[in-house]
Amino acid sequence: MAAPMELFCWAGGWGLPSVDPDCLAVLTYARFTGAPLKVHRVTHPWRSPSGHLPALRTQDEGTISKTQQIITHLRKQKYNADYDLSATQNADTLAFVSLLEEKLLPVLIHTFWVDAKNYVEHTRKWYAETIPFPLNFFLPNSMHKRHLERLQLLWGDDYMEDEEKLEKQLYREARECLTLLSQRLGSQKFFFGDSPASLDAFVFSRLAPLLKAKLPNGKLQQHLKSLQNLCNYCTSILSLYFPWDGADPSAGAPRAAGTDSSEGEEDPHKRRNQLLSVLVGLVAMLGYAFLSGIVSIQRGGVGPAGRQPIAMGEEEEEEEEE
Amino acid sequence: MSLVAEAFVTQLAAAEPWPENAALYQQLKDEQILLSDNASSLAVQAFLQMCNLPIRVVCRANAEYMSPSGKVPFIHVGNQVVSELGPIVQFVKAKGHSLSDGLDEVQKAEMKAYMELVNNMLLTAELYLQWCDDVTVEEITHPRYGSPYPWPLNRILSYQKQWEVKRKMKAIGWAGKTLEQVLEDVDQCCQALSQRLGTQPYFFNKQPTELDALVFGHLFTILTTQLITDELSEKVKNYSNLTAFCRRIEQQYFEVHDKDSSAIAARSAKRSLLR
Repeated sequence: MAAPMELFCWAGGWGLPSVDPDCLAVLTYARFTGAPLKVHRVTHPWRSPSGHLPALRTQDEGTISKTQQIITHLRKQKYNADYDLSATQNADTLAFVSLLEEKLLPVLIHTFWVDAKNYVEHTRKWYAETIPFPLNFFLPNSMHKRHLERLQLLWGDDYMEDEEKLEKQLYREARECLTLLSQRLGSQKFFFGDSPASLDAFVFSRLAPLLKAKLPNGKLQQHLKSLQNLCNYCTSILSLYFPWDGADPSAGAPRAAGTDSSEGEEDPHKRRNQLLSVLVGLVAMLGYAFLSGIVSIQRGGVGPAGRQPIAMGEEEEEEEEE
Repeated sequence: MSLVAEAFVTQLAAAEPWPENAALYQQLKDEQILLSDNASSLAVQAFLQMCNLPIRVVCRANAEYMSPSGKVPFIHVGNQVVSELGPIVQFVKAKGHSLSDGLDEVQKAEMKAYMELVNNMLLTAELYLQWCDDVTVEEITHPRYGSPYPWPLNRILSYQKQWEVKRKMKAIGWAGKTLEQVLEDVDQCCQALSQRLGTQPYFFNKQPTELDALVFGHLFTILTTQLITDELSEKVKNYSNLTAFCRRIEQQYFEVHDKDSSAIAARSAKRSLLR
Protein backbone atom coordinates (compact mmCIF):
# COMPACT_ATOMS: atom_id res chain seq x y z
CA MET A 1 0.00 0.00 0.00
CA ALA A 2 1.37 3.40 -0.89
CA ALA A 3 2.23 5.70 1.96
CA PRO A 4 -0.76 7.81 2.93
CA MET A 5 -1.23 11.05 1.14
CA GLU A 6 -1.20 14.28 3.09
CA LEU A 7 -3.82 16.90 2.66
CA PHE A 8 -3.31 20.45 3.78
CA CYS A 9 -6.47 22.44 4.24
CA TRP A 10 -7.89 25.42 6.06
CA ALA A 11 -8.83 24.94 9.68
CA GLY A 12 -12.38 24.34 10.76
CA GLY A 13 -14.87 26.77 12.11
CA TRP A 14 -18.57 27.61 12.34
CA GLY A 15 -19.33 23.97 12.97
CA LEU A 16 -17.58 22.74 9.83
CA PRO A 17 -14.41 20.73 9.38
CA SER A 18 -13.03 23.40 7.09
CA VAL A 19 -14.23 26.86 6.20
CA ASP A 20 -12.99 27.04 2.64
CA PRO A 21 -15.35 25.52 0.02
CA ASP A 22 -12.56 23.95 -2.03
CA CYS A 23 -10.91 22.33 0.98
CA LEU A 24 -14.26 21.13 2.19
CA ALA A 25 -15.00 19.55 -1.20
CA VAL A 26 -11.79 17.53 -1.12
CA LEU A 27 -12.29 16.51 2.52
CA THR A 28 -15.85 15.40 1.88
CA TYR A 29 -14.89 13.45 -1.21
CA ALA A 30 -12.14 11.71 0.73
CA ARG A 31 -14.63 10.85 3.47
CA PHE A 32 -17.11 9.49 0.96
CA THR A 33 -14.56 7.20 -0.61
CA GLY A 34 -12.70 6.30 2.57
CA ALA A 35 -9.39 7.43 1.15
CA PRO A 36 -6.64 7.26 3.77
CA LEU A 37 -5.58 10.86 4.05
CA LYS A 38 -3.49 12.46 6.68
CA VAL A 39 -5.19 15.79 7.15
CA HIS A 40 -3.24 18.80 8.30
CA ARG A 41 -5.53 21.62 9.29
CA VAL A 42 -3.38 24.66 8.93
CA THR A 43 -4.23 28.19 9.72
CA HIS A 44 -2.47 29.88 6.86
CA PRO A 45 -1.52 28.90 3.34
CA TRP A 46 2.21 29.38 3.84
CA ARG A 47 2.31 26.15 5.79
CA SER A 48 1.18 24.18 2.77
CA PRO A 49 3.85 22.79 0.43
CA SER A 50 2.53 24.63 -2.60
CA GLY A 51 1.54 27.89 -0.95
CA HIS A 52 -2.12 27.36 -1.77
CA LEU A 53 -4.86 25.49 -0.03
CA PRO A 54 -6.04 22.81 -0.54
CA ALA A 55 -2.88 20.93 -1.39
CA LEU A 56 -2.32 17.23 -1.60
CA ARG A 57 1.17 15.92 -1.09
CA THR A 58 1.68 12.55 -2.66
CA GLN A 59 4.64 10.26 -2.88
CA ASP A 60 4.86 9.94 -6.64
CA GLU A 61 3.41 13.08 -8.09
CA GLY A 62 4.60 15.84 -5.85
CA THR A 63 2.08 18.36 -4.70
CA ILE A 64 -1.26 18.85 -6.38
CA SER A 65 -3.08 22.04 -5.75
CA LYS A 66 -6.32 22.36 -7.69
CA THR A 67 -9.49 20.86 -6.29
CA GLN A 68 -10.46 19.10 -9.50
CA GLN A 69 -6.98 17.71 -9.96
CA ILE A 70 -6.89 16.39 -6.41
CA ILE A 71 -10.16 14.59 -6.94
CA THR A 72 -8.93 13.18 -10.25
CA HIS A 73 -5.80 11.93 -8.51
CA LEU A 74 -7.84 10.24 -5.80
CA ARG A 75 -9.96 8.69 -8.49
CA LYS A 76 -6.84 7.32 -10.17
CA GLN A 77 -5.79 5.82 -6.87
CA LYS A 78 -9.02 3.82 -7.03
CA TYR A 79 -10.94 5.99 -4.56
CA ASN A 80 -13.78 6.66 -6.89
CA ALA A 81 -17.13 7.78 -5.60
CA ASP A 82 -18.62 7.78 -9.09
CA TYR A 83 -17.94 4.17 -9.80
CA ASP A 84 -21.56 3.09 -9.77
CA LEU A 85 -22.92 5.93 -11.82
CA SER A 86 -24.35 5.43 -15.28
CA ALA A 87 -23.11 7.42 -18.25
CA THR A 88 -26.05 9.84 -18.08
CA GLN A 89 -25.45 10.40 -14.38
CA ASN A 90 -21.81 11.15 -15.05
CA ALA A 91 -22.88 13.68 -17.66
CA ASP A 92 -25.33 15.19 -15.19
CA THR A 93 -22.53 15.48 -12.63
CA LEU A 94 -20.44 17.50 -15.06
CA ALA A 95 -23.38 19.72 -15.91
CA PHE A 96 -24.42 20.41 -12.33
CA VAL A 97 -20.86 21.10 -11.23
CA SER A 98 -20.65 23.67 -14.05
CA LEU A 99 -23.92 25.19 -12.85
CA LEU A 100 -22.54 25.47 -9.34
CA GLU A 101 -19.27 26.99 -10.45
CA GLU A 102 -20.85 29.52 -12.79
CA LYS A 103 -23.91 30.63 -10.88
CA LEU A 104 -23.47 29.86 -7.23
CA LEU A 105 -19.78 29.99 -6.36
CA PRO A 106 -19.13 33.59 -7.51
CA VAL A 107 -22.11 34.84 -5.55
CA LEU A 108 -20.95 32.84 -2.54
CA ILE A 109 -17.54 34.49 -2.78
CA HIS A 110 -19.27 37.83 -3.03
CA THR A 111 -21.38 37.14 0.05
CA PHE A 112 -18.42 36.16 2.17
CA TRP A 113 -15.62 38.33 0.86
CA VAL A 114 -16.90 41.35 -0.98
CA ASP A 115 -20.18 42.29 0.67
CA ALA A 116 -19.01 44.99 3.05
CA LYS A 117 -20.96 44.08 6.15
CA ASN A 118 -20.30 40.37 5.94
CA TYR A 119 -16.65 40.78 5.18
CA VAL A 120 -15.86 43.17 7.99
CA GLU A 121 -17.99 41.68 10.71
CA HIS A 122 -17.69 38.03 10.00
CA THR A 123 -15.15 36.75 7.48
CA ARG A 124 -12.27 39.07 8.21
CA LYS A 125 -12.82 38.71 11.92
CA TRP A 126 -12.64 34.93 11.75
CA TYR A 127 -9.58 34.86 9.56
CA ALA A 128 -7.80 37.51 11.62
CA GLU A 129 -8.42 35.49 14.75
CA THR A 130 -7.32 32.21 13.25
CA ILE A 131 -4.27 33.20 11.26
CA PRO A 132 -1.25 33.57 13.52
CA PHE A 133 0.64 36.77 14.14
CA PRO A 134 2.01 38.60 12.12
CA LEU A 135 0.25 37.23 9.02
CA ASN A 136 -3.17 38.14 10.33
CA PHE A 137 -2.48 41.76 9.56
CA PHE A 138 -2.22 41.46 5.83
CA LEU A 139 -3.35 38.02 4.74
CA PRO A 140 -7.13 38.54 5.04
CA ASN A 141 -6.82 41.78 3.09
CA SER A 142 -4.80 40.19 0.33
CA MET A 143 -7.33 37.38 0.07
CA HIS A 144 -10.09 39.95 -0.10
CA LYS A 145 -8.32 41.77 -2.94
CA ARG A 146 -7.75 38.56 -4.83
CA HIS A 147 -11.40 37.56 -4.61
CA LEU A 148 -12.52 41.05 -5.58
CA GLU A 149 -10.32 40.99 -8.65
CA ARG A 150 -11.58 37.59 -9.66
CA LEU A 151 -15.18 38.73 -9.44
CA GLN A 152 -14.40 41.87 -11.37
CA LEU A 153 -12.91 39.86 -14.21
CA LEU A 154 -15.75 37.40 -14.16
CA TRP A 155 -18.60 39.86 -14.00
CA GLY A 156 -17.24 42.97 -15.61
CA ASP A 157 -17.08 46.42 -14.17
CA ASP A 158 -20.67 47.48 -14.52
CA TYR A 159 -21.85 44.82 -12.11
CA MET A 160 -19.28 45.65 -9.51
CA GLU A 161 -20.16 49.31 -9.52
CA ASP A 162 -23.90 48.99 -9.63
CA GLU A 163 -24.87 47.31 -6.38
CA GLU A 164 -28.53 47.12 -7.20
CA LYS A 165 -28.05 45.44 -10.55
CA LEU A 166 -25.69 42.95 -9.00
CA GLU A 167 -28.05 42.22 -6.20
CA LYS A 168 -31.02 41.82 -8.47
CA GLN A 169 -29.64 39.79 -11.31
CA LEU A 170 -26.79 37.75 -9.90
CA TYR A 171 -28.30 37.02 -6.53
CA ARG A 172 -31.53 36.13 -8.25
CA GLU A 173 -29.69 33.66 -10.44
CA ALA A 174 -27.96 32.22 -7.38
CA ARG A 175 -31.28 31.82 -5.60
CA GLU A 176 -32.63 30.17 -8.74
CA CYS A 177 -29.64 27.84 -8.76
CA LEU A 178 -30.37 26.85 -5.15
CA THR A 179 -34.00 26.21 -6.01
CA LEU A 180 -32.98 24.11 -9.02
CA LEU A 181 -30.67 22.04 -6.83
CA SER A 182 -33.45 21.55 -4.36
CA GLN A 183 -35.79 20.40 -7.12
CA ARG A 184 -33.22 18.04 -8.52
CA LEU A 185 -32.53 16.54 -5.10
CA GLY A 186 -36.22 16.10 -4.34
CA SER A 187 -36.65 13.75 -1.43
CA GLN A 188 -33.67 11.56 -2.19
CA LYS A 189 -30.89 11.06 0.27
CA PHE A 190 -28.14 11.94 -2.19
CA PHE A 191 -28.26 13.23 -5.72
CA PHE A 192 -27.87 9.83 -7.31
CA GLY A 193 -29.73 7.54 -4.98
CA ASP A 194 -28.47 6.13 -1.73
CA SER A 195 -24.75 6.44 -1.95
CA PRO A 196 -22.85 9.70 -2.21
CA ALA A 197 -20.98 10.72 -5.32
CA SER A 198 -18.58 13.52 -6.23
CA LEU A 199 -21.51 15.82 -7.07
CA ASP A 200 -22.66 15.49 -3.47
CA ALA A 201 -19.19 16.50 -2.28
CA PHE A 202 -19.28 19.63 -4.45
CA VAL A 203 -22.82 20.63 -3.54
CA PHE A 204 -22.21 20.06 0.16
CA SER A 205 -18.99 22.06 0.13
CA ARG A 206 -20.73 25.05 -1.45
CA LEU A 207 -23.86 24.91 0.67
CA ALA A 208 -22.47 24.07 4.09
CA PRO A 209 -20.55 27.33 4.73
CA LEU A 210 -23.56 29.29 3.55
CA LEU A 211 -25.79 27.37 5.89
CA LYS A 212 -23.61 27.37 8.96
CA ALA A 213 -21.91 30.73 9.02
CA LYS A 214 -23.61 33.43 11.03
CA LEU A 215 -23.70 36.15 8.43
CA PRO A 216 -25.01 39.59 9.36
CA ASN A 217 -26.26 40.19 5.81
CA GLY A 218 -27.74 36.89 4.91
CA LYS A 219 -30.32 37.13 2.14
CA LEU A 220 -28.90 34.21 0.23
CA GLN A 221 -28.61 32.31 3.49
CA GLN A 222 -32.28 32.89 4.24
CA HIS A 223 -33.23 31.55 0.86
CA LEU A 224 -31.17 28.44 1.47
CA LYS A 225 -32.75 27.95 4.87
CA SER A 226 -36.17 28.07 3.28
CA LEU A 227 -35.25 25.04 1.14
CA GLN A 228 -35.81 22.39 3.74
CA ASN A 229 -34.50 19.41 1.81
CA LEU A 230 -31.14 21.07 1.16
CA CYS A 231 -30.74 21.94 4.85
CA ASN A 232 -31.53 18.39 5.87
CA TYR A 233 -29.13 17.13 3.23
CA CYS A 234 -26.27 19.22 4.62
CA THR A 235 -26.92 18.34 8.24
CA SER A 236 -27.20 14.65 7.45
CA ILE A 237 -23.87 14.64 5.61
CA LEU A 238 -22.28 16.53 8.49
CA SER A 239 -23.58 14.12 11.06
CA LEU A 240 -22.81 11.02 9.02
CA TYR A 241 -19.36 11.85 7.80
CA PHE A 242 -18.08 14.52 10.17
CA PRO A 243 -19.55 13.36 13.46
CA TRP A 244 -17.22 15.40 15.63
CA ASP A 245 -19.19 18.39 14.46
CA GLY A 246 -16.49 20.71 13.31
CA ALA A 247 -13.93 19.78 15.90
CA ASP A 248 -11.01 17.95 14.40
CA PRO A 249 -12.35 14.58 13.34
CA SER A 250 -9.64 11.99 13.53
CA ALA A 251 -8.48 10.00 10.59
CA GLY A 252 -7.00 7.54 13.06
CA ALA A 253 -6.36 7.15 16.77
CA PRO A 254 -2.83 8.58 16.86
CA ARG A 255 -4.06 11.70 15.11
CA ALA A 256 -6.89 12.06 17.56
CA ALA A 257 -4.54 11.66 20.48
CA GLY A 258 -2.15 14.12 18.90
CA THR A 259 -4.94 16.62 18.36
CA ASP A 260 -6.25 16.28 21.90
CA SER A 261 -2.87 16.61 23.42
CA SER A 262 -2.10 19.67 21.35
CA GLU A 263 -5.40 21.21 22.41
CA GLY A 264 -4.68 20.30 26.03
CA GLU A 265 -1.25 21.78 25.89
CA GLU A 266 -2.57 25.10 24.77
CA ASP A 267 -4.22 25.76 28.13
CA PRO A 268 -1.19 25.30 30.36
CA HIS A 269 0.77 27.30 27.80
CA LYS A 270 -1.70 30.09 28.19
CA ARG A 271 -1.50 30.00 31.98
CA ARG A 272 2.22 29.80 31.87
CA ASN A 273 2.36 32.73 29.52
CA GLN A 274 0.16 34.80 31.74
CA LEU A 275 2.25 33.97 34.81
CA LEU A 276 5.45 34.70 33.00
CA SER A 277 4.23 38.05 31.76
CA VAL A 278 3.18 39.10 35.26
CA LEU A 279 6.54 38.02 36.66
CA VAL A 280 8.45 39.86 33.99
CA GLY A 281 6.40 42.97 34.68
CA LEU A 282 7.13 42.80 38.39
CA VAL A 283 10.85 42.22 37.88
CA ALA A 284 11.01 45.13 35.48
CA MET A 285 9.33 47.47 37.93
CA LEU A 286 11.49 46.40 40.84
CA GLY A 287 14.64 46.63 38.77
CA TYR A 288 13.77 50.16 37.69
CA ALA A 289 12.97 51.10 41.25
CA PHE A 290 16.35 49.92 42.50
CA LEU A 291 18.33 51.39 39.67
CA SER A 292 16.82 54.83 39.85
CA GLY A 293 17.11 54.90 43.58
CA ILE A 294 13.51 55.24 44.57
CA VAL A 295 13.91 52.13 46.67
CA SER A 296 17.07 50.86 48.24
CA ILE A 297 18.08 48.05 50.51
CA GLN A 298 19.73 49.27 53.67
CA ARG A 299 22.58 47.39 55.23
CA GLY A 300 23.68 48.94 58.44
CA GLY A 301 23.33 52.78 58.16
CA VAL A 302 21.02 54.64 55.88
CA GLY A 303 22.29 54.50 52.29
CA PRO A 304 23.29 57.83 50.74
CA ALA A 305 21.13 57.24 47.72
CA GLY A 306 18.08 57.00 49.91
CA ARG A 307 18.62 60.21 51.81
CA GLN A 308 18.70 62.73 49.10
CA PRO A 309 15.24 62.27 47.71
CA ILE A 310 13.82 62.37 51.22
CA ALA A 311 15.88 65.36 52.14
CA MET A 312 14.78 67.15 48.96
CA GLY A 313 11.24 66.35 49.83
CA GLU A 314 11.70 67.89 53.26
CA GLU A 315 13.23 71.02 51.85
CA GLU A 316 10.36 71.43 49.46
CA GLU A 317 7.92 71.06 52.25
CA GLU A 318 9.74 73.67 54.27
CA GLU A 319 9.73 76.04 51.35
CA GLU A 320 6.08 75.57 50.80
CA GLU A 321 5.32 76.24 54.39
CA GLU A 322 7.20 79.43 54.29
CA MET B 1 -32.60 49.63 -13.66
CA SER B 2 -34.77 49.61 -10.58
CA LEU B 3 -37.35 46.93 -10.03
CA VAL B 4 -40.18 49.27 -10.94
CA ALA B 5 -38.52 50.30 -14.17
CA GLU B 6 -37.82 46.72 -15.11
CA ALA B 7 -41.39 45.67 -14.47
CA PHE B 8 -42.51 48.55 -16.65
CA VAL B 9 -40.15 47.58 -19.44
CA THR B 10 -41.19 43.95 -19.23
CA GLN B 11 -44.79 44.97 -19.55
CA LEU B 12 -43.94 47.10 -22.54
CA ALA B 13 -42.07 44.19 -24.03
CA ALA B 14 -44.99 41.91 -23.43
CA ALA B 15 -47.41 44.40 -24.87
CA GLU B 16 -45.75 44.72 -28.26
CA PRO B 17 -45.73 41.82 -30.65
CA TRP B 18 -42.54 40.77 -32.35
CA PRO B 19 -41.85 43.30 -35.13
CA GLU B 20 -40.88 42.38 -38.65
CA ASN B 21 -37.68 44.38 -38.65
CA ALA B 22 -35.99 42.80 -35.65
CA ALA B 23 -32.25 42.75 -36.21
CA LEU B 24 -29.40 40.74 -34.81
CA TYR B 25 -26.02 42.45 -34.75
CA GLN B 26 -22.72 40.65 -34.97
CA GLN B 27 -19.27 41.37 -36.31
CA LEU B 28 -18.42 41.11 -39.98
CA LYS B 29 -19.05 37.60 -41.07
CA ASP B 30 -16.29 36.87 -43.45
CA GLU B 31 -13.38 38.93 -42.28
CA GLN B 32 -13.75 39.74 -38.64
CA ILE B 33 -15.87 37.44 -36.53
CA LEU B 34 -14.10 34.88 -34.37
CA LEU B 35 -15.03 31.34 -33.47
CA SER B 36 -16.58 32.03 -30.07
CA ASP B 37 -18.64 35.02 -31.20
CA ASN B 38 -19.78 33.16 -34.29
CA ALA B 39 -20.93 30.27 -32.10
CA SER B 40 -22.88 32.56 -29.76
CA SER B 41 -24.48 34.36 -32.68
CA LEU B 42 -25.50 31.15 -34.38
CA ALA B 43 -27.00 29.89 -31.13
CA VAL B 44 -29.24 32.97 -30.89
CA GLN B 45 -30.20 32.67 -34.54
CA ALA B 46 -31.10 29.02 -34.07
CA PHE B 47 -33.14 29.84 -30.98
CA LEU B 48 -35.13 32.52 -32.78
CA GLN B 49 -35.69 30.21 -35.74
CA MET B 50 -36.98 27.54 -33.40
CA CYS B 51 -39.42 30.07 -31.95
CA ASN B 52 -40.46 31.05 -35.48
CA LEU B 53 -39.52 34.65 -34.94
CA PRO B 54 -38.13 36.46 -37.97
CA ILE B 55 -34.77 38.10 -37.55
CA ARG B 56 -32.31 39.60 -39.98
CA VAL B 57 -28.59 39.48 -39.38
CA VAL B 58 -26.77 42.79 -39.59
CA CYS B 59 -22.99 42.80 -39.65
CA ARG B 60 -21.18 45.74 -38.14
CA ALA B 61 -17.50 46.06 -37.36
CA ASN B 62 -18.17 47.69 -34.00
CA ALA B 63 -20.94 45.34 -32.88
CA GLU B 64 -19.03 44.51 -29.71
CA TYR B 65 -18.99 48.14 -28.64
CA MET B 66 -22.62 48.69 -29.52
CA SER B 67 -23.71 45.87 -27.30
CA PRO B 68 -25.02 46.87 -23.85
CA SER B 69 -22.98 44.20 -22.10
CA GLY B 70 -19.97 44.19 -24.39
CA LYS B 71 -20.77 40.77 -25.78
CA VAL B 72 -22.14 39.76 -29.13
CA PRO B 73 -24.66 39.02 -30.41
CA PHE B 74 -27.34 41.45 -29.44
CA ILE B 75 -30.80 41.93 -30.86
CA HIS B 76 -32.57 45.18 -31.60
CA VAL B 77 -36.29 44.65 -31.26
CA GLY B 78 -38.65 47.62 -31.35
CA ASN B 79 -36.83 50.09 -29.18
CA GLN B 80 -35.05 47.60 -26.96
CA VAL B 81 -31.61 46.12 -27.13
CA VAL B 82 -30.85 42.81 -25.45
CA SER B 83 -27.57 40.93 -25.60
CA GLU B 84 -26.49 37.35 -24.93
CA LEU B 85 -28.56 34.21 -25.14
CA GLY B 86 -29.73 34.13 -21.48
CA PRO B 87 -31.35 37.59 -21.41
CA ILE B 88 -32.66 37.10 -24.97
CA VAL B 89 -34.45 33.92 -23.89
CA GLN B 90 -36.06 35.82 -21.01
CA PHE B 91 -37.01 38.71 -23.26
CA VAL B 92 -38.61 36.39 -25.79
CA LYS B 93 -40.43 34.65 -22.95
CA ALA B 94 -41.86 37.99 -21.83
CA LYS B 95 -43.26 38.36 -25.33
CA GLY B 96 -45.03 35.06 -24.93
CA HIS B 97 -42.79 32.66 -26.84
CA SER B 98 -41.05 29.95 -24.94
CA LEU B 99 -39.52 26.63 -25.86
CA SER B 100 -39.14 25.22 -22.37
CA ASP B 101 -42.66 25.56 -21.02
CA GLY B 102 -43.41 21.91 -21.49
CA LEU B 103 -40.58 20.80 -19.23
CA ASP B 104 -41.08 19.82 -15.64
CA GLU B 105 -39.01 21.25 -12.81
CA VAL B 106 -36.33 18.59 -12.81
CA GLN B 107 -35.90 18.88 -16.57
CA LYS B 108 -35.65 22.62 -16.34
CA ALA B 109 -32.92 22.22 -13.73
CA GLU B 110 -31.06 19.84 -16.02
CA MET B 111 -31.46 22.14 -18.99
CA LYS B 112 -30.00 25.09 -17.09
CA ALA B 113 -27.17 22.91 -15.83
CA TYR B 114 -26.26 21.69 -19.32
CA MET B 115 -26.37 25.21 -20.69
CA GLU B 116 -23.90 26.21 -18.01
CA LEU B 117 -21.76 23.22 -18.93
CA VAL B 118 -21.56 24.43 -22.52
CA ASN B 119 -20.77 27.96 -21.40
CA ASN B 120 -18.26 26.82 -18.83
CA MET B 121 -16.35 24.32 -20.93
CA LEU B 122 -16.99 24.75 -24.64
CA LEU B 123 -17.09 28.52 -24.74
CA THR B 124 -14.07 28.87 -22.48
CA ALA B 125 -12.17 26.31 -24.55
CA GLU B 126 -12.97 28.29 -27.70
CA LEU B 127 -11.79 31.47 -26.06
CA TYR B 128 -8.63 29.75 -24.87
CA LEU B 129 -7.88 28.37 -28.29
CA GLN B 130 -8.30 31.62 -30.09
CA TRP B 131 -6.62 33.93 -27.59
CA CYS B 132 -4.10 31.88 -25.62
CA ASP B 133 -2.71 29.47 -28.18
CA ASP B 134 0.16 31.38 -29.77
CA VAL B 135 -0.01 29.88 -33.25
CA THR B 136 -3.75 30.48 -33.58
CA VAL B 137 -3.42 33.97 -32.18
CA GLU B 138 -0.74 34.97 -34.65
CA GLU B 139 -2.23 33.46 -37.74
CA ILE B 140 -5.94 33.77 -37.28
CA THR B 141 -7.06 35.91 -34.40
CA HIS B 142 -4.88 39.01 -34.71
CA PRO B 143 -5.42 39.41 -38.47
CA ARG B 144 -9.15 38.85 -38.17
CA TYR B 145 -10.03 40.78 -35.05
CA GLY B 146 -8.75 44.16 -36.12
CA SER B 147 -9.24 43.77 -39.86
CA PRO B 148 -11.79 46.58 -40.37
CA TYR B 149 -9.48 49.11 -38.73
CA PRO B 150 -6.32 50.73 -40.04
CA TRP B 151 -2.91 50.10 -38.58
CA PRO B 152 -1.98 50.64 -35.74
CA LEU B 153 -5.50 50.53 -34.30
CA ASN B 154 -6.02 46.96 -35.38
CA ARG B 155 -2.99 45.73 -33.47
CA ILE B 156 -3.81 47.78 -30.40
CA LEU B 157 -7.40 46.56 -30.16
CA SER B 158 -6.32 43.03 -30.74
CA TYR B 159 -3.64 43.09 -28.04
CA GLN B 160 -5.99 44.79 -25.63
CA LYS B 161 -8.61 42.10 -26.10
CA GLN B 162 -6.02 39.38 -25.75
CA TRP B 163 -4.73 40.82 -22.50
CA GLU B 164 -8.28 41.02 -21.17
CA VAL B 165 -9.07 37.43 -22.10
CA LYS B 166 -5.81 36.18 -20.60
CA ARG B 167 -6.59 37.91 -17.32
CA LYS B 168 -9.95 36.26 -17.25
CA MET B 169 -8.42 32.87 -17.96
CA LYS B 170 -6.06 33.40 -15.07
CA ALA B 171 -8.91 34.31 -12.75
CA ILE B 172 -10.82 31.14 -13.51
CA GLY B 173 -7.75 28.96 -13.39
CA TRP B 174 -7.42 28.09 -17.06
CA ALA B 175 -4.16 29.96 -17.57
CA GLY B 176 -2.11 27.03 -16.40
CA LYS B 177 -3.73 24.58 -18.74
CA THR B 178 -2.01 23.24 -21.80
CA LEU B 179 -3.73 22.83 -25.14
CA GLU B 180 -3.97 19.08 -24.61
CA GLN B 181 -5.77 19.58 -21.31
CA VAL B 182 -8.18 22.01 -22.92
CA LEU B 183 -8.92 19.56 -25.72
CA GLU B 184 -9.39 16.88 -23.09
CA ASP B 185 -11.99 19.10 -21.38
CA VAL B 186 -13.74 19.62 -24.72
CA ASP B 187 -13.81 15.88 -25.17
CA GLN B 188 -15.33 15.39 -21.72
CA CYS B 189 -17.94 18.00 -22.43
CA CYS B 190 -18.85 16.44 -25.77
CA GLN B 191 -19.03 13.04 -24.12
CA ALA B 192 -21.43 14.38 -21.51
CA LEU B 193 -23.58 16.03 -24.19
CA SER B 194 -23.53 12.92 -26.32
CA GLN B 195 -24.58 10.73 -23.41
CA ARG B 196 -27.36 13.09 -22.47
CA LEU B 197 -28.61 13.27 -26.05
CA GLY B 198 -28.44 9.52 -26.56
CA THR B 199 -30.62 8.50 -29.49
CA GLN B 200 -33.24 11.20 -29.05
CA PRO B 201 -33.75 13.81 -31.73
CA TYR B 202 -33.40 16.69 -29.25
CA PHE B 203 -32.14 16.92 -25.69
CA PHE B 204 -35.63 16.87 -24.24
CA ASN B 205 -37.05 14.41 -26.64
CA LYS B 206 -39.54 15.74 -29.11
CA GLN B 207 -39.21 19.49 -28.93
CA PRO B 208 -36.13 21.61 -29.25
CA THR B 209 -35.29 23.97 -26.42
CA GLU B 210 -32.75 26.73 -25.90
CA LEU B 211 -30.25 24.06 -24.89
CA ASP B 212 -30.49 22.55 -28.36
CA ALA B 213 -29.96 25.99 -29.89
CA LEU B 214 -26.89 26.63 -27.76
CA VAL B 215 -25.33 23.25 -28.39
CA PHE B 216 -26.05 23.53 -32.11
CA GLY B 217 -24.48 26.99 -32.25
CA HIS B 218 -21.24 25.86 -30.69
CA LEU B 219 -20.87 22.46 -32.28
CA PHE B 220 -21.79 23.57 -35.78
CA THR B 221 -19.31 26.41 -35.60
CA ILE B 222 -16.57 24.16 -34.32
CA LEU B 223 -17.26 21.64 -37.06
CA THR B 224 -17.32 24.15 -39.87
CA THR B 225 -14.62 26.62 -38.96
CA GLN B 226 -11.19 26.10 -40.31
CA LEU B 227 -8.47 26.55 -37.74
CA ILE B 228 -4.77 25.78 -37.80
CA THR B 229 -5.38 22.15 -36.93
CA ASP B 230 -8.46 20.01 -36.99
CA GLU B 231 -8.05 18.76 -33.45
CA LEU B 232 -11.03 20.62 -32.06
CA SER B 233 -13.45 19.49 -34.72
CA GLU B 234 -12.09 15.96 -34.53
CA LYS B 235 -13.08 15.85 -30.87
CA VAL B 236 -16.66 16.63 -31.83
CA LYS B 237 -16.69 14.29 -34.80
CA ASN B 238 -15.89 11.41 -32.48
CA TYR B 239 -19.50 11.50 -31.36
CA SER B 240 -21.70 10.60 -34.28
CA ASN B 241 -24.97 11.45 -32.57
CA LEU B 242 -23.75 15.01 -32.09
CA THR B 243 -22.88 15.47 -35.77
CA ALA B 244 -26.23 13.95 -36.74
CA PHE B 245 -27.91 16.37 -34.31
CA CYS B 246 -26.20 19.36 -35.94
CA ARG B 247 -27.09 18.18 -39.42
CA ARG B 248 -30.72 17.67 -38.40
CA ILE B 249 -31.08 21.16 -36.99
CA GLU B 250 -29.30 22.70 -39.95
CA GLN B 251 -31.65 20.98 -42.36
CA GLN B 252 -34.75 21.73 -40.40
CA TYR B 253 -34.24 25.31 -39.41
CA PHE B 254 -31.72 26.83 -41.75
CA GLU B 255 -32.06 25.37 -45.17
CA VAL B 256 -35.80 25.94 -45.28
CA HIS B 257 -35.71 29.73 -45.09
CA ASP B 258 -34.22 31.39 -48.12
CA LYS B 259 -33.43 34.71 -46.54
CA ASP B 260 -31.27 33.08 -43.95
CA SER B 261 -29.58 30.69 -46.30
CA SER B 262 -27.13 33.38 -47.28
CA ALA B 263 -25.99 33.50 -43.69
CA ILE B 264 -25.48 29.77 -43.44
CA ALA B 265 -24.98 28.63 -47.00
CA ALA B 266 -21.94 30.81 -47.47
CA ARG B 267 -20.41 29.06 -44.56
CA SER B 268 -21.51 25.62 -45.62
CA ALA B 269 -20.43 26.22 -49.19
CA LYS B 270 -16.92 26.74 -48.04
CA ARG B 271 -16.81 23.90 -45.56
CA SER B 272 -19.76 21.62 -45.70
CA LEU B 273 -20.91 19.49 -42.87
CA LEU B 274 -22.11 16.92 -45.31
CA ARG B 275 -18.55 16.10 -46.32
